[in-house]
Amino acid sequence: MATPVLEAIDQTQAPPQGPPRPNVIYTWLTTVDHKKIGLMYIAYALVFLLVGGVEAILMRIQLAVPNNHFISPQVFNQLFTMHGTTMVFFVGMPILFGFGNYLVPLMIGARDMAFPRLNAFSFWVSAFAGLLLYFSYFGASGLYAAGSAPDVGWFAYAPLTAKVFSPGHSTDYWTLAVFLSGVGSIGTALNIVTTILCMRCKGMKMSRMPLLPWLYLVMASLVFVAVSPLTAAQIMLTLDRYIGSHFFDTQAGGSAVLWMHFFWIFGHPEVYVLVLPAFAFVNEIVPVFSRKAMFGYPAMVAASVSIGFISLSVWAHHMFTVGLGAAGNTFFVFATMVISVPTGIKIFNWLATIWGGKVIFATPMMFCVGFLFQFLIAGLTGIMLSAAPFDWQLGNSYFVVAHFHYVLVGSILFAIFGAFYYWYPKVTGKMMSETLGKWHFWLFLIGFHLTFDFMHVPGLLGMPRRIYTYEAGRGWGGWNLIVGIGAIFQVAGLLFFVYNLVRSYYRGKEAGHDPWDAWTLEWAVPSPPPVYNFAIEPTVNSRRPLWDLKHPEDPDSDYE
Amino acid sequence: MEQENPQDQSHEHRSDTILLPASTPWPMVFALGLALLITGMVTHWVVSVLGLVLVLRSIFGWFFDMFPHEQHVAVPIQAGVIEITSTRTTRSQLPVGVDHRKLLPIETFSITAGLKGGIIGGIAMIVPAALFGLIRYHSVWYAVNLLAAGGFVHWAGESDAFLAQFHLHGLLAATAIHGLTSILIGLLYGAMLPMFPRKPILTAGFVAPLLWTGILYSALGVISPILNARIDWLWFVISQIAFGLVCGFVVNLQVKVRTPQFRALPFSVRAGIHSDQSHKEDDSQ
Repeated sequence: MATPVLEAIDQTQAPPQGPPRPNVIYTWLTTVDHKKIGLMYIAYALVFLLVGGVEAILMRIQLAVPNNHFISPQVFNQLFTMHGTTMVFFVGMPILFGFGNYLVPLMIGARDMAFPRLNAFSFWVSAFAGLLLYFSYFGASGLYAAGSAPDVGWFAYAPLTAKVFSPGHSTDYWTLAVFLSGVGSIGTALNIVTTILCMRCKGMKMSRMPLLPWLYLVMASLVFVAVSPLTAAQIMLTLDRYIGSHFFDTQAGGSAVLWMHFFWIFGHPEVYVLVLPAFAFVNEIVPVFSRKAMFGYPAMVAASVSIGFISLSVWAHHMFTVGLGAAGNTFFVFATMVISVPTGIKIFNWLATIWGGKVIFATPMMFCVGFLFQFLIAGLTGIMLSAAPFDWQLGNSYFVVAHFHYVLVGSILFAIFGAFYYWYPKVTGKMMSETLGKWHFWLFLIGFHLTFDFMHVPGLLGMPRRIYTYEAGRGWGGWNLIVGIGAIFQVAGLLFFVYNLVRSYYRGKEAGHDPWDAWTLEWAVPSPPPVYNFAIEPTVNSRRPLWDLKHPEDPDSDYE
Repeated sequence: MEQENPQDQSHEHRSDTILLPASTPWPMVFALGLALLITGMVTHWVVSVLGLVLVLRSIFGWFFDMFPHEQHVAVPIQAGVIEITSTRTTRSQLPVGVDHRKLLPIETFSITAGLKGGIIGGIAMIVPAALFGLIRYHSVWYAVNLLAAGGFVHWAGESDAFLAQFHLHGLLAATAIHGLTSILIGLLYGAMLPMFPRKPILTAGFVAPLLWTGILYSALGVISPILNARIDWLWFVISQIAFGLVCGFVVNLQVKVRTPQFRALPFSVRAGIHSDQSHKEDDSQ
């Protein structure tokens, strides 16, 4: 039985959509609206996802069979450098900042971000950083003559980055692009933190805030702490390369290990910068499709904050093979293992939310279930690698590559896909096709497992990462072929996704303002939301304000 | 959620428009200028000059976007009625009543209970560990050094006699490892014991230590190969049971605290006038 409630939060309907105006490009270039900036972040990240994906495919073709010379070693070095840099700095962070930009103000009942102009600047500077990185293919005076891209790996270890080993400008492109990207990231993080702390609607105490803004708060705080050392290191490296300082010049009293510390004190928290928003998406999707409130909200918040703190103390587990000494090894082994405690709390809470619920296996939920399973596996291989003796054996092998792709693809990308299917109706007013969504899910799932499950094996057999090719008879050939075949399935799944995005925009069913019968504030405004979000500032009394409106006989506010 | 009181509505609502920050090109121009300024370092200095010009112009433009007054645009509200409804209802399936929702747990142990239990259990565990060292190797330091050896790779080839001697580094490392692990397990006991209220001695004293031993048995080869090569599992189980019994006992001695769910109970139950029937029924099932 329907329970109509006329006491609406917002009395605004979507503005009528007319034909595109001539100044539409100028409108997007000059916008300071958080929703448009969020969409630009996402579109820009999708373009780079395509580019990074093509780079991955080229590498997999090269490695599919032994003694292959499909591409040259120089191009291969550029490909893994550009693939890693692109996926972390120009796909992962922008797409998650994009969702945050779009959703955070809507979910906390605000009309925009705290600093709208800084928000626009942050997006554009990140976008130009990506263009600068790829301009290296055309404009650089690099190691292999004009037009060469960076080729020093996405972590750019010293002393390989020294001018003597990397002449020309290819490494400078990498350094400057990552530096610029960092400026944008810090700007957006500042905006997210300020917006969440200062612009929540009436009644939304921190203890009533949805989990998505909570996790974005932790993530943005991590960005401050993690990106700053990287930015400092980029400046030091630039000084080394341009004016001959010796921060990382081992032959002149500098330290290559110093770079490693700088890089990984950014690099490991960065994993959590990427995965915390993925957790946030799952936190919103799982309860709605289980028809239950999130199990253990305070524990989820505490676990998220704990992860934020602990993630700052684990960076040197990337450096076990360097030789840290007994005390260093012991500390970083235990710190890394301890992080499994709050992470485990999250997994148990998601399971407890699903347990006993009336589960609806719509596409967003299916991606979240995939996330849950794969994140667990990624965590288990992470614990294996956290043990220093194990890491000494398998550090820098394909086992490590398989592990972190389980995190980045199996966990983060799956959650992002779930988020696309969940919030697409809010953004466009149209539903995505469930049939195409299921095709996308199953093809991508099969492809993911073919690629990354079997990628562990050549790692265990001793195949080093970043290797250009290998001899037949090492026992790696068959496994690499399977890994390559998996990539084909993933591409097929992605094609369904892109087709679904475009087709649904024009031919999708009308979504209405609340197609999932959800409970957070963004579903109380029209789809797509008006530019001002809320005509009247909402007031909330619980963590699920729309539940309270839909079920006045049994509101959450009686229990919180 | 409540609709805002009409008397509290601001002027912008009454005038049917909302003021929002005006669009501006200067953030984009500033970003482009900054990017070009830097790009000049890898291309040509003229590019940097162009970037500098754009940066200066955009700073100027951005400044006058904000001063003397921030530029705003009035966006008209296009009002309509949105009904917040659900096709689902709780009414037909679950009658509203005292026991309508599960309110468990309404009491639990505080964090300090787990801390105390972990610390005292950790001390108790030292007794059988020291006994093991005394009986087998005539030294209480053997078990200490064996635990610490996980952090000292170069101890792998050392003799039993070496491990039976006192080493300050070994004592410090073992204290850190043992202390941290004991506190973490104690906290876990504090969180878990309310979930198994019926047989706390069996749960805390035997089931949990045996499960923990099983996990360590399968993983110790990876975590600490040195400890794995020399450990005596019988004595290990005895020390685990000592920890479990003492930690469980100490945790159960502590006074329980009320959880936020307690506040959701009817006043008569919270005041002690009526008992919480739903809670008791759940316990008896």
